[in-house]
Amino acid sequence: MKRYRLLAVSGLGLAAVLVGLLVFGNLNQNLVYYMTPREALAQRSDYPDGRRFQLGGLVEKGSVQKTSDGLTFAVATTAQPGGRTVAVRFDGAPAQLFQAGIGVVLEGSWKGNAFVSDTMKVKHDENYRPPAQAGDRS
Amino acid sequence: MTLFGRRLPIATALVTAIAIAAATLAPPDQLQGELQRLMYVHVPTAWVAYLSFAVTLAASVAWLWRRTPRFDRIAASSAEAGVFFTGLAIALGSVWGKPTWGVWWTWDPRVVTTAVMFFVYVGYLALRQATPDPLARARRSAVFGVVAFVQVPIVHMSVVWWRALHQPPTVLKPGAPTIDGRMLTALLISVLAFSLFYLVVLRARVRLAVRTEEVEAALAERDQEPAGNAVLAPQWEKKGLRADV
Repeated sequence: MKRYRLLAVSGLGLAAVLVGLLVFGNLNQNLVYYMTPREALAQRSDYPDGRRFQLGGLVEKGSVQKTSDGLTFAVATTAQPGGRTVAVRFDGAPAQLFQAGIGVVLEGSWKGNAFVSDTMKVKHDENYRPPAQAGDRS
Repeated sequence: MTLFGRRLPIATALVTAIAIAAATLAPPDQLQGELQRLMYVHVPTAWVAYLSFAVTLAASVAWLWRRTPRFDRIAASSAEAGVFFTGLAIALGSVWGKPTWGVWWTWDPRVVTTAVMFFVYVGYLALRQATPDPLARARRSAVFGVVAFVQVPIVHMSVVWWRALHQPPTVLKPGAPTIDGRMLTALLISVLAFSLFYLVVLRARVRLAVRTEEVEAALAERDQEPAGNAVLAPQWEKKGLRADV
């Protein structure tokens, strides 16, 4: 009984340390799911041409253009215009919900000043609303 | 006492019918269109998974406090339901993810933490199977049931703490829900329907556990050897001794 209690207490302690590490430890650098355009540009030297990573941001309005085997567009960190953007060349068929203004997470690598990607995931937000009726566009 | 009862299944069926009607009548989403209706099954399964593990936590604490076998049965039954609903939430999320995100699976924090939660509670069920002694089983799984619950807040907050593909919470967050009123109504009725279904399943499972224990006790009693069986009659013949003198 006593030995078992020791085991349970140490198990709890270990769990607490792990949780603390996850919450407060600076593991975010390694656990990061994607980099924003701002971070990708800042760490450009760490990612030479061909080294793959995930780039996430919003598709800049008015930047989407069709090419022979895919798309080109620009990805911005925020919706506000004027921020730094990354030019993206995407080879392949875009995801179903792809459109200007939507969030995307792209897998690929740098090629010069452009980010070349072959895998796209669409990130939709947590807001749900019915389609805008004619006359009440917001 | 029937396994499923009478009134609760009828109430569940009624609320489920209303939930289906509400989910059908709610408007489609501006961006996702009809795909957004998957929310009315995906979100309630995830919610019921949280609820199941919360009940396991409460019953485990109650067992450690009172040592009543009933709480152990509730904790175990609820964990079984929780594992089922977690698996269902992952599967339905996958179905929703393919057309919206574009992938069935990705190493997104929310998806990964949910999968970890699934496997840890599978471990809880394995621990129960691996411990034959009822008292030791109840004690160990009660401690496990309390510690494992730490994952529920981690799963819920994963989309806020880490950068994720999965969108942050719509309803369970500070501030007003960012969803159309009719959609929210349909979602809440669906959550109620799934919660009632969980109660039906939980109650049936607890009753089944009671009967299993009764059957096991009866079998143990039947198989028990009669008293005095271990005492052997003296076998004089084998030793070459005559028994008749």
